[in-house]
Amino acid sequence: MSAREWLARLFDWSRREQLDRELDDELRFHRGQLERDAVDAGASEREAKHDAARRLGNVTRVHEDARDRWSWPWLDHLFQDMRYAWRGIRRSPGFAIPVILTLGLGIGANAAMFGLIDRMMFRPYPYLRDPGSVHRVYLQSTFRGNRQFWGSTEYTRFLDFKKFSTTYQQIAAFSAGATAIGTGEDAREFRVAGVSASLWDFFNARPALGRFFTAAEDTTPRGADVAVLGYGYWTAQYDRRDVLGQTIRVGNITATIIGVAPEGFTGVSDGEAPAAYIPITTYAGSNANQRDREEYYTRYNWGWLYVMVRLKPGLTAEAAEQDLTSAYIRSWNAELEFDGEGTPVAIAQPRALAGPMKTAAGPNAGLEAKTLLWVSGVAVIVLLIACANVANLMLARLLRRQREIAVRLALGVSRGRLLMQTLTESLMLALLGCAAGLLIAQWGGATLRHLYAQQGAGEGIVTDGRILAVSLVAALLAALVTGVLPAVAATRADLASSLKSGAREGTHQKSRTRVALLVVQGAMSVVLLVGAGLFVQSLDKVKDMRLGFDAEPLLLVNRILRGVQLDSSARVQLSRRLLDAAQALPGVSEAALVSSVPFWSTSSTSLFVSGIDSVSRLGRFTYQTATPDYFTTTGTRILRGRPFASADREGAPRVAVLSESMARILWPSAEALGQCIRVGSDTLPCTEVIGIAEDAVQNSMLDNDKRLRYYLPLDQYFPANGNYMLVRMHGDPSRQVESVRLALQGAMPGESYVTVRPLIEIIDGERRSWQIGATMFAAFGVLALIVAAVGLYGVIAYGVAQRMHEMGVRIALGARSGDVVRLVMGQGMRVAGAGIVIGLGVALLVAPRVQPLLFQQSARDPVTYAAVGVVLLLVALLASALPARRATRADPNAALRAD
Amino acid sequence: MTMSVRRDLLPGMLDMLVLKTLTIQPMHGYGIAQHLHRLSEAVIQVEEGSLYPALQRMRQRGWISAEWRQTPNNQRARYYTITAAGRQQLGEQTAGFADLLAAVSRVMEVA
Repeated sequence: MSAREWLARLFDWSRREQLDRELDDELRFHRGQLERDAVDAGASEREAKHDAARRLGNVTRVHEDARDRWSWPWLDHLFQDMRYAWRGIRRSPGFAIPVILTLGLGIGANAAMFGLIDRMMFRPYPYLRDPGSVHRVYLQSTFRGNRQFWGSTEYTRFLDFKKFSTTYQQIAAFSAGATAIGTGEDAREFRVAGVSASLWDFFNARPALGRFFTAAEDTTPRGADVAVLGYGYWTAQYDRRDVLGQTIRVGNITATIIGVAPEGFTGVSDGEAPAAYIPITTYAGSNANQRDREEYYTRYNWGWLYVMVRLKPGLTAEAAEQDLTSAYIRSWNAELEFDGEGTPVAIAQPRALAGPMKTAAGPNAGLEAKTLLWVSGVAVIVLLIACANVANLMLARLLRRQREIAVRLALGVSRGRLLMQTLTESLMLALLGCAAGLLIAQWGGATLRHLYAQQGAGEGIVTDGRILAVSLVAALLAALVTGVLPAVAATRADLASSLKSGAREGTHQKSRTRVALLVVQGAMSVVLLVGAGLFVQSLDKVKDMRLGFDAEPLLLVNRILRGVQLDSSARVQLSRRLLDAAQALPGVSEAALVSSVPFWSTSSTSLFVSGIDSVSRLGRFTYQTATPDYFTTTGTRILRGRPFASADREGAPRVAVLSESMARILWPSAEALGQCIRVGSDTLPCTEVIGIAEDAVQNSMLDNDKRLRYYLPLDQYFPANGNYMLVRMHGDPSRQVESVRLALQGAMPGESYVTVRPLIEIIDGERRSWQIGATMFAAFGVLALIVAAVGLYGVIAYGVAQRMHEMGVRIALGARSGDVVRLVMGQGMRVAGAGIVIGLGVALLVAPRVQPLLFQQSARDPVTYAAVGVVLLLVALLASALPARRATRADPNAALRAD
Repeated sequence: MTMSVRRDLLPGMLDMLVLKTLTIQPMHGYGIAQHLHRLSEAVIQVEEGSLYPALQRMRQRGWISAEWRQTPNNQRARYYTITAAGRQQLGEQTAGFADLLAAVSRVMEVA
C-alpha cells in the first residue's frame, strides 16, 4: 500500500461515521433509481422493490466491505488500550508520578547531553550543501620527537594545497577572531570571520540582502574592503534596515557592506555566529603587523587559518589522505627551499588528512570533547538505571494485579493483548516522561550553558528537531524495556497457582527478577559514583594547584592599535601612559606591562649558557618581558635573590629572573644566582641571574608543561613588546572591567582601543574539562544513587509486606527482633554487596580509559573505591532499615489465627 | 432475457471498467452500474452494491475523487471523477489487459 493510501485510510478512519452515513445515502439513492426504473418498465411496487434488492445484492456485505476500507482494528484497540492505560495512570498518581519523574530525569539528561554533543560534533552547519563530502584538512608532523597535529596553518600553505592537491572539488580557507567593530568608545570586539570567496560555494545560501564577495574581491596582496554582515548582527545593530553601500569599521579596514548572510547562517563557525565576514586576503592584508601583512602569502611563518575541502565523489579517506599528504610534502619542501632551514621531510614526516569539520569529532579532539563524550555515556547509564527502576515499579504493580491478570487470562484474553496493554501503559508513561525530560533539559540547559560556555548549547531543546527525535527514540526504547520485561515476567505466571493462592505464594520467582534489576542499578550507581569521586578530586587538585601567580585579582588589558602608525618609541610611550593611567586608578593596587599572557602566547629565543653545548636540547625555554612591578602584580613568589627593579633599565647591566625548574635544569648542582646567560646571541654581554621565582604555568595545566621560564625587564630587551598589561585589583576584578576599560580608553590614540577581561576567565577555560567532569558525574552519580536507593527500599518493603505472615509465624515460634531485622536487612545487604562488587569491577576495567581525562589522580584510587563502597552500603542499610522495623512489628497472634 | 451463466470478473477488471466508464464524464454509482450493464449487453453482471466498496478503494488510492452534487432531477448523489493518477492506472491496466487477451486467444487457438 502506498503512503498516500495509508494516509487516505487514516483520514477516512477519523471520519468513519460520516462515511458510513454517506454510504447509506448512496445506496438509498441507488435503490430508489432501480425501483423507479422497474416501475417505469411496468412492474408493481412490490416487484420493483424485489428487483431492486436483487440487483443491489447483499447490502450488509457491501457495508462490511466498505467499512473495511476505513477501519483499523488495531488502531481501535490501541485507543481502547490508551484509554485503559490513562485511567490506570490517573488512578494511581503515587505510582505514575515517580515513574514519570524517573524517566524524565533519564530522558532529560540524554536530551541535554545529546544537544551538546550533537552541536559540538555532528550537526552539519546550516545551509552547507552535501555535508558528507566536506572535510577539514588536518596537518600532522613530528616536532622535537613529538608527533602532533597543528591547529592552524599559513595562507601560503592553503595556496600550496590548492595547487598541489587533486582530490578536491572545492577548497576554502577560513579564520575567525575577535575584532573591533565601530570606532572610539563604541568600539567593541565581535567575532569576525575572514573567509576565502570560495567558501560561499560550499553552501546553498542566498544572501538575505545584497550579495557575497567574489574571487575578484579576494586577492593577494590585499582583498577588497567589503563586508558581509551576519544576520544576527544586522538585526541587533541595524534593525534589518537596508545597509547596502554603507561603510563599517572592521578591525583596521573601513569596509563597504555588500550583503547580509541569511538567517541562521554561521559559516563554519562553531558557537557564536560571526558578526561580519570579510575576504580572507583583506583580513590578512590589513593585519597590524607589517611583516605578516606583506609576507602572509609568500612565507610560512604565520599560521592563522584553516583549510576545508569538498572531496570529489566516491573518494575513499585513504585516497584523500594520500593525495593531501603528498601535497603537504611538496608544500613542506617549498617551505624548506624558501626559508633555507627547517626540519627535513624524512624527520618531520608531514601528513595531511581530511577529517570531520568539527574539531571535537576530529583526530585531535581536546580534553573537553572527550570528557563530554564520557558524560554522555553517563547520561545513557542514568537512563538505564531509570529504566531498571521503572521496570521494577511496573513489575511490582503487575504483581499486585496478579490475580486480576490470572482471571483475565483464564477468561481467554490473549497474552499478546495483555502484553499490548502493558506496553501501551509503559509507552504512555515514557512519553509523559519524555515531555517532563524535555522540560528538565530545557531548564538544565542553562546550567550546561554556564558550564560549557558555548553559545547555542542547551538552547531551544524543546524546539530542536534532532533533540526531539533522539528523545522520542529514547522514550520508545525505555517503554519497550520497562513494558516488555515486567509484562513477560507477570504473564508467565502459573495460572492455577495464582488463582488458588493469590499473593502469598508464587511471587518469589518474580522477586528474583526484581533483585537482579536492583543489583544492576546498584552496580551502575557505583560506577558513576567512582567517576564522580575521581573527577571531583581532579577538579580539587587542579584548583588547588599553584599556578605560579594569582589569577583571581588580575585584569588583563590588551591594547590594539588601529588607524594610527606608531613607531616603536611611540608605542613604548603609549604603553607607559597606559601603565601610569592604570596605576592611578582607584581600586588598582599594582600593574605591569607584559609581552605574553598565560595560555595565550609564549615567546622564546636562542639561549646560551657557558658549559652547556646546546641549551635548546634541554627543553623549550620561554621568556616573559615585564615592567618592574611584575612580581608584586602577579603574586609570583621570588624564592631566592631579588625581583627586577626600576634601576634595571636600559643601559644598566642586564638581569634575569629564572623559574625554579629552569635554574635546576641548567645548573643541577650549582647555585643559579649570579650565573651568566646570553639571550638571543652568544656574542651579547652576560645577563646575570638575579632571582629565582616559583614555577608558573604557561601553556597547559598538565604535567607536560615543563615551566622552563625566565623573566626579563621590558626596558632592557624589547621595550616595544609590552602589548598587554596585567592589573591587580583590590576588589572583585570582574565588577571593574568596564570602569577600567573606559579609563584606559581615554589614553588610546585615534581609533585604537583596549579590551579588558578578568584573567580568571582564561584560567577557568583551561579548567573546564575537569569542571564539567566533576559537576556532571557528581550530579548524575547522586541522581543514580537516589534512584537506586528508592528502588531498593521499594523492593524490600514490598517483600516484607508479602512476608508479614511469615514474620508473624517466626516471632510466634520465638524469633527475636534482632533475628527478624537481620533477616530483612541481610537481603538488602546482599543486593548492595553484589552491586558494589560488580560496580567496582566494572570501574576497575574502565579506569585506564578515563585516566587521561583526570588531573594528577589515579583512576584506580583505592580510597575513592572504598569510599563509594561504604556510601552504597550505608544507603542500602538505610533503605532496608525501615522495612526491617516494620517486619519486627508483625503480629504473631494475627499470623496464627489466620492459618 | 437473462443469461443463465454467471460470468465472474477477473480481479482488477472491475476497476478497469469503472475507470474507463468515468473517462466519459463524472458519474454516480447508479450511473456507472447502468453504463456497464448497457454496454456489456448484460453479460457483465455485478451485484451493483459491490461497486461501492470498489469505489471507496479506488478513491483511497487516489484514482478517482468523489463529490456530492445535485442530479438533474434535483436529488443528492455522490459523483465520481477520474483523476490524473486514475487515467495513468487505466492506461497501464488496459495495456496489461490487451497483452493478457492476446495471450489467452493464442493459447485457445492452438489448443
